Amino acid sequence: MRTPSAFITGAATASLIAIGWNIGQAGLAAENVDTTTTASSDQTATTTTDSSTTDTTTTDTSTTETTTTDTSTNTDTTTTTAGSDGTFVGDTVQTRFGPMQVQVVITGGAITDVQTLQFPSNDRKSVEINEQAIPVLLAEVLEIQSADITNISRATYTSQSYKQSLQSALDAAGYTG
Amino acid sequence: MTVHIFDTMGTTVSIRITETPDNTDRVRTTAALDGIEKVFDLYDRDYSLYRGESPLSRLARHEVTLAELSDDIRDTYARAIDWRQITHGAFTPHRPDGVIDLSGIVKADAIAAAHSVLRAHGFTEYSINAGGDMTVAGEPETWVTGIAKPDGSGNPAAVVRLGGEWSAIATSGFSERGQHIWRASDPTGDIIQATVVAADIVTSDVWATAIVSGGSDTLELATRTAGVAVLVFHADGEVRANPAMMELLRQPAATH
Repeated sequence: MRTPSAFITGAATASLIAIGWNIGQAGLAAENVDTTTTASSDQTATTTTDSSTTDTTTTDTSTTETTTTDTSTNTDTTTTTAGSDGTFVGDTVQTRFGPMQVQVVITGGAITDVQTLQFPSNDRKSVEINEQAIPVLLAEVLEIQSADITNISRATYTSQSYKQSLQSALDAAGYTG
Repeated sequence: MTVHIFDTMGTTVSIRITETPDNTDRVRTTAALDGIEKVFDLYDRDYSLYRGESPLSRLARHEVTLAELSDDIRDTYARAIDWRQITHGAFTPHRPDGVIDLSGIVKADAIAAAHSVLRAHGFTEYSINAGGDMTVAGEPETWVTGIAKPDGSGNPAAVVRLGGEWSAIATSGFSERGQHIWRASDPTGDIIQATVVAADIVTSDVWATAIVSGGSDTLELATRTAGVAVLVFHADGEVRANPAMMELLRQPAATH
């Protein structure tokens, strides 16, 4: 894994500075827990007139997560009901890139691990240096810039199937959060 | 800014209309937004594989044949096959289990249709964001748009300013993939996320999907033949941009 590194170029242009990135496994697990306890019904059509776009951007990025958790009816995140402890395997969910399947480990009524059993694999092993794509070091997006961002482009496809498989595993466990 | 958010097609759509002299008519705004919701719903009814009664679900269950479906659906399938040719097979409407899945092109079609609805109602500056894929209208560099890190956090790794000809952006990838999974399959060098900026959303969306599926060869094909801007994240943490994307990333910080 590339270690984060930073260097500053001309201050005036805020051009490309900075970091590599790290996938935080802890962050991943934390998000999974969020997802499973998020109801599917908390986002209804809304029309607002508001010049503050920062909040609404946050709204999008979280509400897209709710859509594949239709089977979840539990919204209560404060009451921990004892489901079964153990390891529960989710459904295999087909995606454009192949099958996706996860399992969850529940210990003492809490999710302690989420493991991916099957992930859509990209069997292309092309690692040739590609002249049409230049390695870049991306700027750490500064707070001040983030406030101006009105939209985030992000991937949703596989995450939906991931959550669908995860949800089925939690259902199998009788996990109610 | 008018912001309208609704859920459809298994994702969330958000529409932002900037207050400009042309964009302030509330009745017209309501009519356009209603129209857009209907458009998304119509596409979803025809193509969703999460709706058991949709024609595509019935096709997946072998209850009907492709030839028995509507001209519109067959036309969409034909266009998906065209894209398979254009991307040298990297984009395909056929899932590994054989099911015809047109969702990769239909969400983009719906965004494009929503774009037409707003334009037909006379709007001039707006964005349509469906689950992270979006089309904008406005002058160049109007819409400050983040490109999410491929860690599922939704936090931006980079920022591009869209508008003018660069009006569409789409990101495809394995955003939930954790490190332990990579070690299992060791796809070092593989592309785990691709973002494509183009002049129309179908082009963006198809190439983004194709590049994640086809890897560096497809990225080179897109750069050489499609005139699109591409940013990719590799499994080992490397980030690459093609020359057009380098230009977009170098845009000076706007005071917009």
